[in-house]
Amino acid sequence: MSSAINLSAQNRGIGNTQVDETALYAMTKQMSQFFSRFNNEEDQFGKKLFPSNPAWREQEKRSELLPLLFDKENPRTTGSLRDFFIEDLTDSDSSFLRFTGGRWYAEVSTTFQHQGREVQIILILMIEKENLGSKWVLTNVYYPAFSKLFPAGEMAEREKHFLHPMSHELDFMNIYKAFQQPEVIEYYASKDFQPDYLSLFFYEVKKGNLKFKSVDKLKFHIFQIDNWYFEVSWFNRSGNNTGWLISNLMYVTENEKEKLLMFYQP
Amino acid sequence: MTKASISFQRIGLILLIVAMTLGGTTGCKSKKKLAREQAAAEYAARVDQATKDLTAMLNDETTWTLEEKERRFATIKSWNLQDENVISLMDQVEDMLARERAEAMRKAEEERLRQEEEARKQREAAKYNSVESQFLAIAAAPDINTANEKIERALSLFASPDVPVLVIISQAGGFNDYDRPTTISKYLNYLKDQKVYNNRIEQVKYDGNGKIIELELIKK
Amino acid sequence: MRKIQIIIAVMIGMFSINIVQAQDDLSPERKQAIDSLALEKVRDLSKYISIIGSKTTPWSEANRVIDRAEELFMAGAEIGVSSLARPEVAYYKVRQYFERLMRLNYDRVEIEWFKIEYVSDLQRQPDGTYVGVITIFQKFKGYDKEGGLVYEDTTKKDITVYVKRKETQIGGRIIGFWDVLLGDMRVKETSK
Repeated sequence: MSSAINLSAQNRGIGNTQVDETALYAMTKQMSQFFSRFNNEEDQFGKKLFPSNPAWREQEKRSELLPLLFDKENPRTTGSLRDFFIEDLTDSDSSFLRFTGGRWYAEVSTTFQHQGREVQIILILMIEKENLGSKWVLTNVYYPAFSKLFPAGEMAEREKHFLHPMSHELDFMNIYKAFQQPEVIEYYASKDFQPDYLSLFFYEVKKGNLKFKSVDKLKFHIFQIDNWYFEVSWFNRSGNNTGWLISNLMYVTENEKEKLLMFYQP
Repeated sequence: MTKASISFQRIGLILLIVAMTLGGTTGCKSKKKLAREQAAAEYAARVDQATKDLTAMLNDETTWTLEEKERRFATIKSWNLQDENVISLMDQVEDMLARERAEAMRKAEEERLRQEEEARKQREAAKYNSVESQFLAIAAAPDINTANEKIERALSLFASPDVPVLVIISQAGGFNDYDRPTTISKYLNYLKDQKVYNNRIEQVKYDGNGKIIELELIKK
Repeated sequence: MRKIQIIIAVMIGMFSINIVQAQDDLSPERKQAIDSLALEKVRDLSKYISIIGSKTTPWSEANRVIDRAEELFMAGAEIGVSSLARPEVAYYKVRQYFERLMRLNYDRVEIEWFKIEYVSDLQRQPDGTYVGVITIFQKFKGYDKEGGLVYEDTTKKDITVYVKRKETQIGGRIIGFWDVLLGDMRVKETSK
């Protein structure tokens, strides 16, 4: 008696539908899964492999899995560059992604209200370790209205704006000129001056001029692998090439990366 | 076996051959010679056979069970062969069989203990059978009313609807990890909603009236 | 050479898992048990959703189940819903979401769950609480009085799971338990 009940009552698993789930298995469902697949740390059913398992991070299998993580409909991520990348990854035992390894950023496209007008602002975030764990923190913001405030400017024009070196002897009586043309006020700053957009952003939010509306899109920029940069975006479409996939790939030397990273983490 | 005893046996063997040779000269020559040759051939064959069998056992090239190996060894021993090589092989095989015997006994003991533990668990389980069958019945109830009736019946086994229910989720590392404690009333409704009972009763505490005052379950 | 590489890879792997253990003191076996516990809470939720959504569930019973479903969540948890037609995220409080589900204006609904479920790695937040995300997929069908299919969608549900070690006293002894609570849930329609 009790064994019969056992059978009928013990079927436990979430699913009750009999449809083909291949596409859902194939989908890279979370960034976590992207990391696990990229490193070959889970089996084909998404079950985590223990590091004691010989299959864990096994490179031959990894080189078969990696092509599945690229957007197949984009020539940028399907050509020989991709093959070189995979070769580099599977050649070295240090080319694995680490969640708290730094040098990977989330790009969040958002909508704000700026003084009553809807505007698009891009927020850059990264994982930062703190106390017992980690958290996402804002590292930069891209808002064209902010960038326009600090145009690069012609050298000839820049050279017209300065306080001569003996200004101090006259109690800086000439400094009023710096403030007469606010659009070029930064020419009076040191050559090391870099506008801090995040501070501007916070200022505008604190002043109530910028009001958050919504998150629109999300993608990731990953610089963790030596000499490579790639971007990961969400693909919601039919077929087996869906979910979080590599949507852009570039060979970038570590030196060049330094400059690029200035944008993500100034 | 020590070297000294081997050489002693060897001396014995030589003496025997000498005696046989001396005795042979006094009896019927041809018959005795024939018998001697036969004995020598038989002896050589046995040495040969023993060497082969013992080596095979040592190299684990036989399909024999431990008992068969032991029988074979006893037979070879009974031949009382004085061949140095065979004696050395017999020493090794004797050691090996002793080890295998000890291992087999250990395994048998383990199996006995396992069966005892299994039987104990089954007795334990049987002790709680009546409670568990009620849990299973709630999970398998065909409709809400039936389930509610069964919940009422099951609740009568407990001192109150708020009796704590603990669920062990893991015993890794030698200590219990639990799920958040709940009450029997909530747990029974959980069985009704989820339609599954996939735990096993680990421990039950009763009050003086035989009512359950604490229930500890473990995930299967 | 290949063999040596694998051995080294395995050794490096063991080394890093030791570091993880030293950091948060959890063996892979215990972590796996916690993963299963978290997954079970999500399965519980999916069952509750099916009961609440079903038109055959009596009103009082659905309300009781809403209470139980709500207990799975952390206070203040929200559900963000978007569809292909309406990509902007609509926010609901947990209770609001369930009540809306209960009152859906169909004569009959079918809620089916796909077998696939994905559990992320558990990461720790600064206060030490573990956070993970479990992904499940649901197929929803709504029928009208005539039995015609009037609405259908497949949604991906990404559910935040918080896991915290807690202690309580029961019957005079200290019980160490893993408190698993669900947090925000993102519900997104997937294209077919």
